[in-house]
Amino acid sequence: MTKRTRIPGKEISKPVYINTRLVNYYWQRTSRNKLAVFGLVFILFLILLALIGPSFTADPTLVDFDEKNMPPVGFTNIKSAYHIDTNEFTTTEIRGTGKHPLGTDGKGRDMLSMLVSGAMVSLQVGLIATGIALIIGTILGVLSAYAGGWVDNILMRFTDIMMTFPFFLLLVLIVFIFGPSLAFIVLAIGLTGWTGTARLVRSEALSLRTREFVTAAKALGATDKRVIFHHLIPNVMSLIIVIATMSIPGVILAEAALSFIGLGDPTVPSWGIILEAGQHSLDTAWWIAVEPGIMLFLTVLAFNFLGDGLRDAFDPRSSV
Amino acid sequence: MRKARLFVALSLILAALFTSIACGGTQPPKPAGKQGGIFINGQAGGDAETLNWILAADASSSGYASHTVDSLATFNNKLELQLRCLAKDVEISQDGLVYTVTIRDDLKWSNGSQVTAEDYVYTLGNLMFSDWMNYPYKSMWQEEVAGNKVFVTPQVVNATTFTITRQTANPDFVYSIYDLQPYPKYIATKYEGDVKTFTEAPEFNNLTYTGNLGPYRFKEWNRNDKYVVERNPDYYLGRPIGAPYFDQYVIKLFGSSATMQAALEAGDITHCGIEPEKVNKFMGLKNIDVYTVPTTGYTLLAYNQRANGWEGLKKQAIRQALSMSINKETVSQSILLGFGQPAFSFLSPNSPLYDDKSVVKYGVGPLYDKEKAAEILYQEGYGVKQENGTIKATNKDGGLLQLVLVTDQASQASQDIALQVRKELLALGIETRVKLVPWPTLLDQYVRNKVPGSVKEAGYNNGHDAVSAESWDMMLIGLTGGLLSPTSAEVVFTTEGGMNYFGYSNPEVDELFRRLKTKEALDKNMRQQLSSKLSLLLSQDQPFDFVVFQKANQGFQKNVVGIEPGISMWYNYYLWRFE
Amino acid sequence: MGKSWLRVYIIKRLIYAVIIALGILTITFVLVRVGPSSPADKYLANLAAKGQDIAQVTAAIEARYGLDKPIWQQYIDYIGNLLRGNLGWSFSTSMPVIDLIKTHWIYSFQLILLSSIFAAVLGILIGIYSAVKQYTKTDYVFTFLSFIGVSIPSFWLGVMLILVFSVKLGIFKSYYDTALPLFSLENLKALVLPVMTLGTGMLAGYVRYTRSSMLDNLRKGFITTARAKGLPERTVIGKHAFRNALLPLVTIIMFDLGSIVFGGAYLTEIVFGIPGLGQVSFNAIFAHDYPVVMSITLIGTFMVLFINMATDIAYTYLDPRIRYD
Repeated sequence: MTKRTRIPGKEISKPVYINTRLVNYYWQRTSRNKLAVFGLVFILFLILLALIGPSFTADPTLVDFDEKNMPPVGFTNIKSAYHIDTNEFTTTEIRGTGKHPLGTDGKGRDMLSMLVSGAMVSLQVGLIATGIALIIGTILGVLSAYAGGWVDNILMRFTDIMMTFPFFLLLVLIVFIFGPSLAFIVLAIGLTGWTGTARLVRSEALSLRTREFVTAAKALGATDKRVIFHHLIPNVMSLIIVIATMSIPGVILAEAALSFIGLGDPTVPSWGIILEAGQHSLDTAWWIAVEPGIMLFLTVLAFNFLGDGLRDAFDPRSSV
Repeated sequence: MRKARLFVALSLILAALFTSIACGGTQPPKPAGKQGGIFINGQAGGDAETLNWILAADASSSGYASHTVDSLATFNNKLELQLRCLAKDVEISQDGLVYTVTIRDDLKWSNGSQVTAEDYVYTLGNLMFSDWMNYPYKSMWQEEVAGNKVFVTPQVVNATTFTITRQTANPDFVYSIYDLQPYPKYIATKYEGDVKTFTEAPEFNNLTYTGNLGPYRFKEWNRNDKYVVERNPDYYLGRPIGAPYFDQYVIKLFGSSATMQAALEAGDITHCGIEPEKVNKFMGLKNIDVYTVPTTGYTLLAYNQRANGWEGLKKQAIRQALSMSINKETVSQSILLGFGQPAFSFLSPNSPLYDDKSVVKYGVGPLYDKEKAAEILYQEGYGVKQENGTIKATNKDGGLLQLVLVTDQASQASQDIALQVRKELLALGIETRVKLVPWPTLLDQYVRNKVPGSVKEAGYNNGHDAVSAESWDMMLIGLTGGLLSPTSAEVVFTTEGGMNYFGYSNPEVDELFRRLKTKEALDKNMRQQLSSKLSLLLSQDQPFDFVVFQKANQGFQKNVVGIEPGISMWYNYYLWRFE
Repeated sequence: MGKSWLRVYIIKRLIYAVIIALGILTITFVLVRVGPSSPADKYLANLAAKGQDIAQVTAAIEARYGLDKPIWQQYIDYIGNLLRGNLGWSFSTSMPVIDLIKTHWIYSFQLILLSSIFAAVLGILIGIYSAVKQYTKTDYVFTFLSFIGVSIPSFWLGVMLILVFSVKLGIFKSYYDTALPLFSLENLKALVLPVMTLGTGMLAGYVRYTRSSMLDNLRKGFITTARAKGLPERTVIGKHAFRNALLPLVTIIMFDLGSIVFGGAYLTEIVFGIPGLGQVSFNAIFAHDYPVVMSITLIGTFMVLFINMATDIAYTYLDPRIRYD
């Protein structure tokens, strides 16, 4: 860390994450965008919820068939039971109670607890899969730009192939064939979602490559590895942060969509899985599909707000 | 989707005999309604694969085709034989080896030629028994002679009579004969010997040969959407009375049962199955009739008695203790909302062979007793007495007892029951890890087994020493219960049985199944006695916990008349009509 | 010919397209055929329960579908047939793949066409309006709504639309009826909810792109010049600003089309039970029906490549300065 090469007068070569003045500047630009601030606050709330929420809510896997399809507080639902000996139905009206403020699903599991543990799943999927995609994309992009020639050619043709491949089809193929476990879904999304990053990073790195501080570092005898990891990558960081924030919503939605078509990890109650189950009982228990949908929607919205704010902040052309 | 549902999984339930379409035999009532209208049967789940049914291994494919070709015979709701293409009941010789089949003389192919015994014998001998065809259900027509599997021998006697000769007696073989449908020899000979051209033959894929053999004729099949057959005015059973009465019979596929039921409610379709949660709502609708009918499907909790299961499960007492702590009434009341019936035997309670007195009723009444179960576990060395005097189940060295319960992720009922089982066992102190896996994984990793280190490919039962790739202790799965032929369960319960993947072995059981397949079982009383004995033995031994027999709810538009609700309600569907 | 370089360019692109398509076909083939499960799997338990010999049935089914040959042999056979124009036989639906596609493409096509028109027309109009009225209340409302539009999961939206309009209000059927004639009002009505489901996300995206692209252009010098010349505002916006904003927009709309067939359109087809190509291909994946999976992937790939090329060529006409040499 301490042996960083200093290039006088080229403050910009310092990466965003250690340049506090720059961070402050970007923060000010971002924070002027109220929607972006809302997005950030909601995401922080979500992270908090995912981390400490489970210790306050009931066990999301706890099943109680006597309390199935309980409505949220303030709503009512009709519960019926069939008696085989008398061939009769008894129906009772049930009201939402404080025990299950958001109601229960068809297995009597507490919706609130499930939504809280679903938050963890969505965040994990969003962050880890995006992380994988970014790492692959950045490395390939920078490598391609830096090496040029046939390496660039091969890498970019491969990127073209992967880019032309219908993303969701590829995802379904992989997950179907290798089995739907959450770890694998995350990995599959990461492994298929890097193409855009690679392209953008490559073009950014191409323009950086010819900039003075890189040529200067090379002139000073820096190795290729050093140039890539200490000069090129830190300087595409701001771009990467924007790409990350903008692509997380897509990743979260991809996992939800997979769950929705029955390729989710059935052992983990993700929002998509709850939604899929709820879809079948829309007319008898609407909240099972509505609640996770709202959570998904708000999360995606928050990331979109934040991403938009960050992009504007990093974009020197825009004046917010 | 489909999904999901897309990935609809197939439980073992294959009530082909009873879901497949058949038609009535007794003197039909005069039609009260008019001819006409389109009957739309909603189905959620996968489409059929082919109309060339002899190649199909899936139940939907045979179901689709059977609207246009009748089997030799079928059964009504009381399980009485209804003749179809058969002219009279199959005659069985004294020694139980020769079956004489007489078909009707008014059956015609589409080119006008008569359907003869020759066609049936050709279908058996040249198609189903041939090497090139590899008929998926060929073993139904095989018997074991001196250690080898050999086919039975079909032979033409005259235009309407043929015989099938066996070398060993088997009272249940006649049910295979009743299900037989013919292929037209005059077309099939063109493709004989080449499975590829046979597979792609247009006559078979468009059912253009079916003549007057079924109540309907093929019209259109739009994959993943609908299958349409139209009224066959020449139908041999219907012509005298103008049946069938619907202009078209349509199978309409839906991506989810929710949209399907909404379509029934709106009157867009005529019939579909209804989930337990929605029965009450549909019973309240003015335009809908809901019939609750028994099915032959039951859910069971298999105990893994192979080397990679918990060693306690090899003991009968422990299996009994576990079964004793799972309340079957709760399962059928809370999960199936009353549309289930506790199961104690592999025989369906609707089977004429079922005897309520010759079963041990674990999981209900006095035999649902957690304290007793805990006591048994304690005596067997799998429990510790706690300070308050209660017993907590443990493993052999007094530590936490953890069991793995695996089931198909696509089956909602299985998932619900799995979670209920976990809850019940937790009260004993047993922690159950529920694994929900996709059907192919379930088969591949948990069901199929092989002897470790051997080169032999994994099968469903590779002998005493074989184990599955993943270890497991309990498995929830669906199976079809015995109705008329008790020996259909042989593959599940006998030591060598091809479906005995959970490693159960009891020589007494093996012997009873063997006797059921001999000449002595041709005698009705003997057959009843042997079945009851077997039923009692298995319900005592608990190779698995028979959990619950499901009931189905069938919703129909009220203006459909002629329906006889029951376990085989489609048997007379060619007489159904709109008011 | 003023654009002789264009012909060379097109030929180059076609060669490139073939290479990409081959790459995608190979990846698809490997994924579909090398996986651990087999098309025979789903029957096996049924068959075993009936006492059949599983190993023998698996072998029989695989032999019937030609899956018993070595993988490389299957691959070469497949590519060979493809070059001869034979897409193969779909064993999960028992019909030639080409016929399967012929009967199902129309359902996807009408859905995607109508959604694209709905999204593009409304999106561009709202986007222009929003840009022209920047920082007014209506602009804020539209911007906010467009955020909601891009964030709402399409399949959830579909489910909600069914809940409200079909279950509660009973205005629309909850599933798509293929019996309706193609060019009829009933068919159009049946497509209202699916088009809203698929189109909303696209619409919101187009609003945002149009708005920002228009704003970029409105700031530029030539607009100020045009205004200074005293041209009417309508001409300035319609002819000058919009014309320049159109280019990136075309790219995005075209790019969307390619990815939508297997993404949003598939989910919409599932929700509303439309038997389009999306459903066909995904059912084929679940059935290991590789001739179908490969063919539809191939069609999708060529569509994307063709659209990209068409867009590139369209550029040269929209902006004569662009050359691809």
